[in-house]
Amino acid sequence: MTPPPTLRERAEGEAGRLPPLLARAEHLAGTVLLGEHGRRRAGLGDDFWQYRPAQIGDSRRMIDHRRSARGDQQFVREREWQIAQSVMLWVDQGASMRFASTETLPTKADRARLLGLALAILLLRGGERVGLSGIGLPPRRGQVQIARLAQALAVDAPQDYATPDHRAMIPHAQAVFISDFLGDIEELRVALTKAADRSVRGVVLQVLDPAEESFPFQGRTIFESVGGTLHHETLKAGDLRARYLDRLARRKDELAQLTRVTGWQMGLHHTGDSAQSALLWLYRALDRGFA
Amino acid sequence: MTVLGGIGFAAPWLLLGLAALPILWLLLRAVPPAPIRRRFPGVALLLGLSDEESVSDRSPWWLLLLRMLAVAAMIVGLAGPVLNPQTRPAGSGPLLILLDASWAGAASWGDKIELLESQLTEAARASRPVAVLSLTAPEPLNFRGADIWRSRLAGLTPQPWQPTGGQVDAALAALADAGKRFDTHWLSDGLDFPQRTDLIAALQARGDLRVFQTGAAVLGLSPATFEDGAVQLTVHRSQNLAAREVTVLAQGRDPGGTARTLATVPARFAAGELEAQAALSLPSELRARITRFEIGGQRSAGGTALVDDGLRRREVALIAGRADREGLELLSPLHFLEQALAPNADLLTGALEDLVPAKPDVIVLADVATLSPGEAAALGEWVEAGGMLLRFAGPRLAASDVSRADEDPLMPVRLRAGGRSVGGAMSWGAPKTLAPFADDSPFAGLAIPQDVTVSAQVMAQPDPTLSERVIAELDDGTPLVTRKRIGQGQVVLFHITANAEWSSLPLSGLFVEMLERLAVSSSSTTPDAADLKGTTWRPVQVMDGFGSLSDAGALPGVAGADLADAPLGPDLRPGLYASEERQLARNVLEADISLAPADWPADVPVEGLSVAPERPLGGALLALALILLAADVIAALALSGRLGPMRRAAVVLVALLLMPQPGLAQENDNFAVRATSELVLAHVLTGNKQLDEVANAGLMGLSDTLFFRTSVEPAPPIGVNIESDELAFFPMLYWPITPEQPTPSAAAYAKLNDYLRSGGLILFDTRDANVAGFGAASPNGRKLQDLAAPLDIPPLEPLPPDHVLTRAFYLLQDFPGRYSGRDIWVEAAPPDAQQIEGMPFRNLNDNVTPVVIGGNDWASAWAIDADGRPLLPVGRGYAGERQRELAGRFGVNLVMHVLTGNYKSDQVHVPALLDRLGQ
Repeated sequence: MTPPPTLRERAEGEAGRLPPLLARAEHLAGTVLLGEHGRRRAGLGDDFWQYRPAQIGDSRRMIDHRRSARGDQQFVREREWQIAQSVMLWVDQGASMRFASTETLPTKADRARLLGLALAILLLRGGERVGLSGIGLPPRRGQVQIARLAQALAVDAPQDYATPDHRAMIPHAQAVFISDFLGDIEELRVALTKAADRSVRGVVLQVLDPAEESFPFQGRTIFESVGGTLHHETLKAGDLRARYLDRLARRKDELAQLTRVTGWQMGLHHTGDSAQSALLWLYRALDRGFA
Repeated sequence: MTVLGGIGFAAPWLLLGLAALPILWLLLRAVPPAPIRRRFPGVALLLGLSDEESVSDRSPWWLLLLRMLAVAAMIVGLAGPVLNPQTRPAGSGPLLILLDASWAGAASWGDKIELLESQLTEAARASRPVAVLSLTAPEPLNFRGADIWRSRLAGLTPQPWQPTGGQVDAALAALADAGKRFDTHWLSDGLDFPQRTDLIAALQARGDLRVFQTGAAVLGLSPATFEDGAVQLTVHRSQNLAAREVTVLAQGRDPGGTARTLATVPARFAAGELEAQAALSLPSELRARITRFEIGGQRSAGGTALVDDGLRRREVALIAGRADREGLELLSPLHFLEQALAPNADLLTGALEDLVPAKPDVIVLADVATLSPGEAAALGEWVEAGGMLLRFAGPRLAASDVSRADEDPLMPVRLRAGGRSVGGAMSWGAPKTLAPFADDSPFAGLAIPQDVTVSAQVMAQPDPTLSERVIAELDDGTPLVTRKRIGQGQVVLFHITANAEWSSLPLSGLFVEMLERLAVSSSSTTPDAADLKGTTWRPVQVMDGFGSLSDAGALPGVAGADLADAPLGPDLRPGLYASEERQLARNVLEADISLAPADWPADVPVEGLSVAPERPLGGALLALALILLAADVIAALALSGRLGPMRRAAVVLVALLLMPQPGLAQENDNFAVRATSELVLAHVLTGNKQLDEVANAGLMGLSDTLFFRTSVEPAPPIGVNIESDELAFFPMLYWPITPEQPTPSAAAYAKLNDYLRSGGLILFDTRDANVAGFGAASPNGRKLQDLAAPLDIPPLEPLPPDHVLTRAFYLLQDFPGRYSGRDIWVEAAPPDAQQIEGMPFRNLNDNVTPVVIGGNDWASAWAIDADGRPLLPVGRGYAGERQRELAGRFGVNLVMHVLTGNYKSDQVHVPALLDRLGQ
């Protein structure tokens, strides 16, 4: 049994980490204006869509008297058809994400969580249901879900390269995978294939550090993964550069190929760039999926 | 000690270690640097990649070079390198260090002392007993430890003479008394002197003799003479060298009494010449101020020539009682005086009342009996101040009642009526001859020619004071020349005429000599022993070996004959001597001297003076090695990427080292940026906190007023410390006066004057409503006068009604502040400013007035608090508010005037412009 003080300290530490992430995510989300995803056709919903003349078959209760009283004709008020989508988030919590090449840059994990949470806030405001992939946090609506998401996103995973959780995928939902995708790509292939089978569409966002793109290393070096599970020693790091970049490009190609086949969309974001543009891209990409 | 290329090594074998450097190079290259551990998520992509080459990255070449340098510096440093190693064999036994210590060595005295010190150090190292002997001040030899002598080095000074015969004898005696063998180091000054060869022989008989002397020629300056209307200067040198130019400086006091160089003249030695001539032509006023000539760039008694009466041409005013009669020049009372004085005095003629203000040295009244009271008063005052009045008798004086019953203040004695005449055609007796001069007479020692006779004279009344006033008498005891001292001056009466009517004295050479002795004229040639016989000279100032003068103090007097030709020595020091009114300079060099260089026998080794001190280099090289190694540590860290956390510390450290006062510079910059990014009004900080706050609030209020009403939009005002802050940023300064504020320093005044000259304006506010009348009635007014006295302020006037301040923005005629005082003062209009017909205003000053002075306490009227409400009450009710408004308007006008200058003055042309526009 965990002694209460320790538990409390940990809880407070966790709680202390939440508000800044939440605040920044709220702030970031505030830069994108949106409404609910109207279907742009009349249907069930809250928002006014149009007035149309009352037709035979319309019940009298449907007649909008305020509008009809202006003239002789009777009008029916139609509302826009709104349906809520379910969006499943997967943000890589693995150790490889906890890397920043310089002090001025945020870690990849930080940026990925920020983007994920900000997107979740946007979507929740838009009335969608957002949850985490897998069985941890099923999609729900409402402000409380933001706090739940923030809490769930703040948990670090122990393993070096995390794999997407593709259990319990809701058919016809949307999914957002945010990771560096430097680990084993086969898990992702399985996840995406499974998603495609359930006609889940979505977005893959690869978050990379600028150093991972440029490989600015020289001399005798031992490279270690952040979790410490992988090592590679070289005598001349400079000579590896071309081959590393080649492999990285191939990895990106594979990802693009995979997403194309499964009908997903793929984006690339560097922690050196602005988070807002990445958020906008994510939102647009999802919006395309809704339409 | 092994010497390689001028550098000696204590342990030369260590240098073999340098041969190991190439091996070290290879080793350092072969060993790869330690691997760096890096966290890198992309390692997953790297797995399976193998290195193409098995050789790792080498250390960069510059790092290798750094390490090699460090190792090389360490090896060389440990080998004990010494710069300028002393390789001469050290002697043993007692050592005599012999110094000429004459004026000729004064120019290189510092080098000599340095050499002496190094020799003493060497002797101390070899523990040799040392004796030091100055030839110009010989003492018995005293062999002691070198350290004792070293503590006495400061007391050794060169004497202003060459070793005399007696001194060399004393030195020889001292050598003979020493009684043991010793080696000798002779620090020669490079000039020959008598008995030098004896000295060399005596020293060589005792042991080894080594001579140290500078290779440069000794320079000397002969006394200046005055010929052909110019001062003639002769510079001598001891050795026949190449062509060379030296500068001779004429030193003296300027009219303010400050010693300074009055003139310089170059003297050029032609190649092979030992003498150089220079002629210096100066106005007599300037010439009379010269006290000495010096050879520029060297301090020595021989290079200094003191100036005495010989160069000083006295101004003598000649006034005769009778008008000159044409054609009878030989009968003119002044003819013989003119003849006697013209060669070496400047003669002035004219009316007495014109001549006295010219302050001549001597005024001669030849047969002038009565003087007007005004003339007598002026003359009396002039004599009191040191003038010499020389009177000659004559028929008029004899016939007048001057000094008959009572002694005239300007006559030395009372006179009996009529005088007497002896040996004439109508009288008994033979013409009288002169009695020998008494010893206490200024004429003592002058030979009296037998043909000088006196046939007529005026007679002195016997008085109790008569005998002490007689300085020459006839052989029957009647006074011929009498003298009376008045204040600092004197009156001398020759009881005969200045022409040959009454005596033949003016025809003789004695007359000229007597005038010389009286310092009426100065001799043009240097007096010789015969001239000076019988006189005693009192030293006034004496020279030391470096040529600097000091007070003679209690030195005994010198007989005239000795002064002329005795050799210089401790008993006769070069310097300035005085006797009676005359001054004579005894210089080190005579006019016709030549400087003989010292030549040494072939078996005496002669070396130069300069010593290069041994300088061990090991410490510096080891320090260099340490620095290089420290740099290597940093470089290695930087290469391995581990400098990160230390980088900031290193940067801070370097910044601390390189920028001793970054904070101050930053502060100054901030001040400058704040003062210049916007227009800023400024007030002078007085040190009185309350006053400064009111001034700041006042300027704040004025700034707000300007902001609201005009296009001038100032930033908040700044208090300026005139000592430390730059003033040039501010268009105007408001300076409230308080009696207790400190007076600015000279530097601050210089800054303020710069500020005023470059267009700044200072508004002085005495805050007492009173000073506008320029009265010093209030303490503030007095303080203002104190403060402003050193400022460069033009003439002021009360602000005229058409001054541009009255219309720079508002039309104003009153300038009230918290007080509604009277005038305020601004720079006066040019005197030719006149109102042109049809123009509303005069065309006044072109510039902004540099100061505005008033006492209306404007800042208090302008002052607002933080909420923008008036801080202090002004007047009562509506009238008070009106006054505050006018005060604000004055401020606006003032700032407008500062910023736009005379722009509104240009409205004088408005009528003409309107005319032209056809309005």
